Amino acid sequence: MGLTDHFPVLIIVIFFIAAFLSPLVYRLARKFSAALILAVLTAALGMAIFLLLEVQQAGTVLYHLGGWPPPWGIELKADPLRLYILLVVLSVSLWIFIYALRDLHHELKKRVIGWYYTLYAVLVGSMSGIVLTNDLFNLFVLMEICAISACAIISIKEDRECLEASFKYLILSAMGTGCFLLGVVMLYMATGYLNYGFLQVELAEAFNYYPRNIFTAAALFIVAFGTKAALFPLHVWLPDAHASAPSPSSAMLSGVVIKIYAFALFLMFYEVFPRELLATIPLNEIILWLAGLGTLFGSIYAMLQTDLKKMLAFSSIGQIAYIFMGIGFNHDLALIGGFYHIMVHAVTKGMLFMVAGVIIYSTGIREIKDLVGIGRSLPITMVAFAIGGASMVGLPGTGGLISKWFLALSALEIGRPVFVLIILASSLLNAVYYMPIVINAFMQQEETKIEFKPVPRVMLGCMVAGIVVVVVSGFYTTPVVNLLEQSLALIF
Amino acid sequence: MEILAGIIDNYYYMVAIILFVIGMYTMLTHSNMIKKVIAMNIMDASVFLMFVAVGYAHGSQAPIITEGNDVLYANPLPGALILTGIVVAVSVTAYALSLIVKIYRHYETCDYDEICEIRSLE
Repeated sequence: MGLTDHFPVLIIVIFFIAAFLSPLVYRLARKFSAALILAVLTAALGMAIFLLLEVQQAGTVLYHLGGWPPPWGIELKADPLRLYILLVVLSVSLWIFIYALRDLHHELKKRVIGWYYTLYAVLVGSMSGIVLTNDLFNLFVLMEICAISACAIISIKEDRECLEASFKYLILSAMGTGCFLLGVVMLYMATGYLNYGFLQVELAEAFNYYPRNIFTAAALFIVAFGTKAALFPLHVWLPDAHASAPSPSSAMLSGVVIKIYAFALFLMFYEVFPRELLATIPLNEIILWLAGLGTLFGSIYAMLQTDLKKMLAFSSIGQIAYIFMGIGFNHDLALIGGFYHIMVHAVTKGMLFMVAGVIIYSTGIREIKDLVGIGRSLPITMVAFAIGGASMVGLPGTGGLISKWFLALSALEIGRPVFVLIILASSLLNAVYYMPIVINAFMQQEETKIEFKPVPRVMLGCMVAGIVVVVVSGFYTTPVVNLLEQSLALIF
Repeated sequence: MEILAGIIDNYYYMVAIILFVIGMYTMLTHSNMIKKVIAMNIMDASVFLMFVAVGYAHGSQAPIITEGNDVLYANPLPGALILTGIVVAVSVTAYALSLIVKIYRHYETCDYDEICEIRSLE
């Protein structure tokens, strides 16, 4: 076997190696510690692109860890869909990390920055693992790693709000993983397998003997992933956690981490549970209605906020619900919309949190009402905010429109026009809280002169890159949509 | 009666589920943060117990197979998995407790309701 055959596992492992090296490098050769993580992120991105090209030619790659074939060994699976999610995760992580290089010195104590790099690498590594793994217990372990490192990049700031928020996040995500593991036990009891592929085959038969086990497992999975991905009634931890964290962490958590769990739920429903099962119980309906309520209530809560980062955090609850809606429709157009939204929202919300970070860095303002007239002092930043807001609303010319378009199309196609109304209503609600900020920032004069310090070029560059991606994803959709169509054809 | 007999036959699953519910209820409703962490451990332990119980068959032995000795043995896989699960639970507990220490330094209390009160007064 050549080196390229080991790429699926290398993508995950290099992050953990870098994570353990990072504190040492930070102590001995401080200059290289950021370069180490950057190099690892770039290498993983390169490997993911290589794998995607290979998979498109030669079909799905299955990698057996340690040479043990499933059902005994752990299996990693690289199919086009997982690689698409992996590419989104890795490229957004790389982008946010470049931004973080400047912002962290402002938000964290100097001695913990090396540890922040460690946590960041662990977080990205565990997320890549969640995407690639094909084994339920391995998924559990990676989810716990992801939960701890996600809490830790909040609590590393060590002020009171962060500590409290990350404790709340930790407890609720421990509940999520507890439920998930109980669900895994139920499935293991019924079938004796942990591998997705084996489970799907075996569950179709086991369903006749142990229907209760399998229903319980499905319900537990909805609770588990719903908690972790902040599906509407289980979202209580998210606003505090995402709002109080350092800005790069907020961008990472809101942009990438919650989507990974939504994707994991998708894998459970389409790769673990057999299709006949989904037809017999209204799992899709449950997710669909929770998502519908989530899009509305997330926006309504966001309207009531006075803190900019808290508003963005509540808006994430509304936006993640679109992705769940895509899963809930059980229709390929809706899934294209949902997965397109994973990419669009990762970039948009990442960019919006960067904007919030830049505003805090430059002026120290957190309150929305103080943002009046700030567009004159920070033009590029507020243009980024305007474009991000437009994409959240789904105005033409931004990526947000495309995903909503696909969702609405599929809602019409399966004859559920109610959801078109919900999508429209939530878009209007989004406009209600994003647009006044933009209008006030540019059209009005500030009441008192805002003191601001110059923004580093790297941070501005990151935001410009975000603007470009959001706008391009609104016009030039074919490559991604084709990739998604091709990869969903393997599932449907 | 059939359900009752089923429950009696599989009482260890019932014990695990009862523990799980106790743990989850305490974790979500109790205001003392240390008790939340203890409850989290009870919840995890219940799942581990259940997982290990799945691997056991009545009258089976430890999975040490020698040649020519064909005995009924317990499934070793759940045990191996749960070992990993315990390690994970320990690290989550350690992290949660360290967070509590830090929170205590800021608020001088471990009670979540009191913390909310302190914050609402400011």
